[in-house]
Amino acid sequence: MKLDGRRARFEALAPVVIDAVRRYLARRTDPATADDVLSETLVICWRRLDEVPADYLPWAYGVARRCLANAERGRRRQARLVARIAVLDPPRGVLDGPVPPDGELAAALSRLRDEDAELLRLWAWEDLAPAQIALVLGISANAASIRLHRVKQRLREELGKSGPPGGHEQSREGRRP
Amino acid sequence: MTEDDDLRSRLRRADPAASLAPLAPDQTSRLLEETMTTTVSPRVSTGRGRRFAVLVAAALVLLAGGGTSWLLTRSEVGKPSAVVVSLSMPDGAPRKCVPPTVEVLAGGADFAFAGTVTGIAGDAVTLSVTHIYKGAEADEVRVAQTPGSSEQMLGSGRFETGQKYLIASSAGGVLTCGYSGEADSLGLQDLYENAF
Repeated sequence: MKLDGRRARFEALAPVVIDAVRRYLARRTDPATADDVLSETLVICWRRLDEVPADYLPWAYGVARRCLANAERGRRRQARLVARIAVLDPPRGVLDGPVPPDGELAAALSRLRDEDAELLRLWAWEDLAPAQIALVLGISANAASIRLHRVKQRLREELGKSGPPGGHEQSREGRRP
Repeated sequence: MTEDDDLRSRLRRADPAASLAPLAPDQTSRLLEETMTTTVSPRVSTGRGRRFAVLVAAALVLLAGGGTSWLLTRSEVGKPSAVVVSLSMPDGAPRKCVPPTVEVLAGGADFAFAGTVTGIAGDAVTLSVTHIYKGAEADEVRVAQTPGSSEQMLGSGRFETGQKYLIASSAGGVLTCGYSGEADSLGLQDLYENAF
């Protein structure tokens, strides 16, 4: 009976988790790693179903985030050995995205610290509020709110820097008179 | 539209998952079924955990030393390629330990990982991280030990090169008293699996 209850709850939330976590992973890793990490995330959700809160998506993102970090740690170790090969054979799909890539935005994001850029991704792509972002990252809601506010500001500054129409993108090259 | 809305819309246009096709319903149900059937039995609050607690209690009585000085520094040296975390072994007067519980581990540890000792230089033990159960990303952990302090760990009670350990810490201090030790110590792996 208890097991039936567990099943019913899992069957109700898992399709939503699958959809959301697949997207979360597609944004952050390659398809093969994404498949592995999705399975692992689901197993943990099932195993720890009693702890899954009512607002379960941030919790599931937090699990996926940890699983992905663990998957990538193992890979990073191997990657140090084959780094040169990876350069010669870059992952596919980078150049032929359906939407023309926003190079300016990508460049601005890449100038942010990775943990700051992650806040923006969680906000814009996963559509999370600061309190939910806090849950994913394991920080306080207050800290998430402040950091998100700051990093939005930083991104705007970076976007302003990198090339307003008729901008001064080369200005750093020369010294001011 | 506020400035925030503009920024968010621009980020959304660059969403790499925007073109991700949803999983077909039969694939979703297969994934669901696989998850519920191929995994180990779901976590049960009695049984295994309780038996483990009883078994380990006897071992813990023998553990002496250690303190409650968890307020040691934990510094994370940020390097893009290898993140190093520093921890310290507790140090202090002998004390009694109560049997470890999943709840205490889950609630008390802010960092928990599995790692293999790659080097011991004097009092500094270096471990290469193989799995993070809880806490920030790290590739390498350095544990500062004082003479005798590692005796409080489960297993052989000392760090050995090449050996695998499960270590939990709070505010930079390693949690002993049955919460850290050799990875194959009785029940320790289960404790970690259930806590994190």
